[in-house]
Amino acid sequence: MSEQNERMNIFDPTGMIKSMRDSGIEHWSKMMTELVSSDAYAEANAEMLNAWLTSSAPFRKSMETAVNQSLSALNLASRDDYTRLAERLTNVEMRLDDMDAKLDELLRRQVGPNQG
Amino acid sequence: MSATQNGNGGVVTFEDLCEQWHQAADHLRTFNRLLTTDAKVAQTPKQVIWTLNKAKLYRYTPVLPDDRRHKIPLLLVFAIMNRPHVLDLRPGHSFVEYMLKHGYDIYLLDWGIPGPEDCELKYDDYALEYLPRVIRKLKSVTGAAEFSMLGWCLGALISTIYACLRPDDGLKNLVLLTAPLDFADKSSGGFSRWVSEPAFNPDKLAEAFGNVPGEMIDAGAKMLKPVENYLGTYVNLWDNIEDTGRVEAWHAMNTWVRDIIPMSGAAYRQLINEFYKENRLMEGTLTIRGERVELGKLRASLFNVIAEADHITPPCQSERVIDLVGSQDKEVFRVQGGHIGIMAGRGAEKSTWPHIDTWLGARSN
Repeated sequence: MSEQNERMNIFDPTGMIKSMRDSGIEHWSKMMTELVSSDAYAEANAEMLNAWLTSSAPFRKSMETAVNQSLSALNLASRDDYTRLAERLTNVEMRLDDMDAKLDELLRRQVGPNQG
Repeated sequence: MSATQNGNGGVVTFEDLCEQWHQAADHLRTFNRLLTTDAKVAQTPKQVIWTLNKAKLYRYTPVLPDDRRHKIPLLLVFAIMNRPHVLDLRPGHSFVEYMLKHGYDIYLLDWGIPGPEDCELKYDDYALEYLPRVIRKLKSVTGAAEFSMLGWCLGALISTIYACLRPDDGLKNLVLLTAPLDFADKSSGGFSRWVSEPAFNPDKLAEAFGNVPGEMIDAGAKMLKPVENYLGTYVNLWDNIEDTGRVEAWHAMNTWVRDIIPMSGAAYRQLINEFYKENRLMEGTLTIRGERVELGKLRASLFNVIAEADHITPPCQSERVIDLVGSQDKEVFRVQGGHIGIMAGRGAEKSTWPHIDTWLGARSN
């Protein structure tokens, strides 16, 4: 408090406004942090999110189905197709990674005795 | 700076007003630039030595000759919902750069940005599919049988799971930074309280989005301290706009903060249900790919860094692990500061990095 009084100088209006602003932000910050940490906020937040997710789910599903059917009718790949392809590529990558590790091991064994 | 202070004994001239007007315009331009452009981050030279799906393993170019370097390499494992650039923020203020200068051979695991096809990735995959492969590559490149690992935030959680499940894999030293491991206290920290609500349903969220959008994670993190994050930071920047050092630091940090990425939906579900709600790791009921995770099996030397003012991972979430691990050599280090500040803030170079170096250096040869 005394520090704040030291900062308050009636001959320096800009400094006074700044000091008032800082203390306003500080109080507001404390208040908001307490608010978002409260059970009431957590409950309201969860309920709101839940209500939105529940109410939007049927629309989202029907939209997805419509898009997939349209893409299929046009002989175009859907997101699911790309996802499956990407999964297969990752599996291939893993096999390559295993082979790379085995090659490294073989090379090390081969180089080891020669160096010795 | 006051409007009534000038070199003419307190009398404000038209010239003074014009000068101040120009100065304010300059500040606004700087302010705009800082908000709308990206600073150059992660500039320490490095090479990609391994990739799998979106994940990459980098090796930083060592700056000291072989004979002056520690023998045991250090692997950095960052969280899965942010970019790892914060470990190498900007030249002159980079943890990676600092550790390179102190003789470490450093490797960084970047999990990458998950696409829709990665929405089923879980901690099981991160800890037992990706990490063991990364470590296999690291050992192959370095020829070292042992290594150290530094995990930050959710990276620390993944590192801990790995260290418990593969205690004989050569992990010698484990550094945990602000590790969210213990969720027994549901009232500590905003996240715990929010997700512990029975109405909060992570399954529905993951089902709706596939991957949880980065914007949602970012908003959640910012809402823990809404005034500081949405207003205070900009007011602070404006107040220090003439201080080039602070401005550049702010710009680099803001670039990292803005670089948001989604989190795999399955990992999110697992994080909320199995960790936050059921506290399985601490209860000893966590199963990863059919293997039970027992903290008592973690035997590596452990350095547990806790941020006293952490509002994302409150200290109570990182404290108890030290009593449960099987390590003989273990130490807790408490730092004044926040979740990110302790490693990337202005004081990190004096308050945190030297302690990590001292602890790790003594165990890296």
